[in-house]
Amino acid sequence: MNKITLIIALSILCFTAGAQNVFITKDAKIIFNSSTPLEDIVAESNQATTVIDIEKNVVKFSVLTTSFKFRRALMEEHFNENYMESAKFPKASFTGKIVTPVDWKSDKSIIADITGTLTMHGVSSEVTVKAKITPGKSKIAASAEFKVTPEAFNIPIPSAVRDKIAKEVTIKIDAVYAPFQQLP
Amino acid sequence: MKNRSLALIHLLVMGVLFSISASGQDLDSLMEKSVKPQTVYATATFKSTRVVNGHSVERMKKNQLEFRVSHRFGEFNTGSYDFWGLDQGTIHLALEYGLTDWLEVGIGRSTFEKTVDAFTKVSLLRQSNGAKNMPIHLSYLASTEVISLNVDPAMKRNFTSRMSFVQQIMIARKFNESFSLQLTPTYIHRNIVPTEIEHNDLFSLGVGGRYKLSKRIAFNVEYFYVYRGNENAINQPNTGATKYYNPLSVGIDIETGGHVFQIMVTNSQAMREGGFIGKTTGAWGSGGIRLGFNISRVFSFSK
Repeated sequence: MNKITLIIALSILCFTAGAQNVFITKDAKIIFNSSTPLEDIVAESNQATTVIDIEKNVVKFSVLTTSFKFRRALMEEHFNENYMESAKFPKASFTGKIVTPVDWKSDKSIIADITGTLTMHGVSSEVTVKAKITPGKSKIAASAEFKVTPEAFNIPIPSAVRDKIAKEVTIKIDAVYAPFQQLP
Repeated sequence: MKNRSLALIHLLVMGVLFSISASGQDLDSLMEKSVKPQTVYATATFKSTRVVNGHSVERMKKNQLEFRVSHRFGEFNTGSYDFWGLDQGTIHLALEYGLTDWLEVGIGRSTFEKTVDAFTKVSLLRQSNGAKNMPIHLSYLASTEVISLNVDPAMKRNFTSRMSFVQQIMIARKFNESFSLQLTPTYIHRNIVPTEIEHNDLFSLGVGGRYKLSKRIAFNVEYFYVYRGNENAINQPNTGATKYYNPLSVGIDIETGGHVFQIMVTNSQAMREGGFIGKTTGAWGSGGIRLGFNISRVFSFSK
């Protein structure tokens, strides 16, 4: 009889565990920079959704490409129309595994390797990112910086603007996660 | 007893496995669920704030200033003496600014009848899908033009007689990434017209379309039907009135970073509504067409 109670308790634990190991934020910041001496090309989105599963060490990102804001409205229009083709490919996403073991119970920052798939403009590419992760009980902070090339995502840069756009685009990510609360 | 505990262990393992696979898929659906549906607005319905001569639903966004230089050569049928029109030129200069994302103001000066103009363009509806669905863009334009040319003796020399007013509604839809279409009902009131048989009030319906040939090149056609009643029928040399035609323009947009070049062939000389809707004198049929271009450069004053 005790065993049955234990099993029921365990299975309940199993089902609820799915939510307790998940941390989420809907307003992670992503900055991308492909500036050159000829042109400042910087855009920022504060609307990236991202989750971390600390049990399986999985991290996921998703952001609408139209949420990136530029200083120049025309540049924003060209970003969506000509380069990202946001009408066809509205989202950029990332799914990765935290390779470096992280002690989620400590509150010390750690530089961890995250390997995964970055998908944008309909093209998926493997990337490895060094991220700074600060675990915590009520929140997890994470930041990362990495570089990608437009060519890797099949985004051609016309020769007329080749000198104005950096060959490598720097992407900076800043996220503060909170424990996932079950939706009402 | 042993069998029972085996079955229990089996259940337990299954339960754990199930919860793992469920939470694996959960991450994606959990992300989907936590993001509210967003509204995606149709942008770049036209490449420029003009289809060719007439306004498009596009406008400068907040704190963006556009400097426009428009130029039309002479009529092709002037022949070799005028190098098929290239010896002549009509120029329009304009500064246009977005006060907000939905409100644009502009001023301009043209060599055509030495016209000064000012306009306000308001975006009332934006085409969107997602959380908010709207099938069309709707914009309204109000413009005032003042002719400062002094040679027309019919025109009284007081200021108000030089004025004309344009009211325009632009209804546009971006059907897909390549094709956009705009309808442009227009009402123009001229305080004074050169001859008695010409109407002070003009009603017109414009149709403009664009088709993208590539990401940075688009093909545009624009036509305005102008209702003139029997004006043209009774137009004879002895009344002194000019025969007017409906403006038809065909152009190509070429976009290069911060510039948009528009190259066109049109039968209109003027580059503002009062002029090209009201006073187009070229006929496509007899070679009364001109080569022209618009150059747009955008400056950002956002921080």
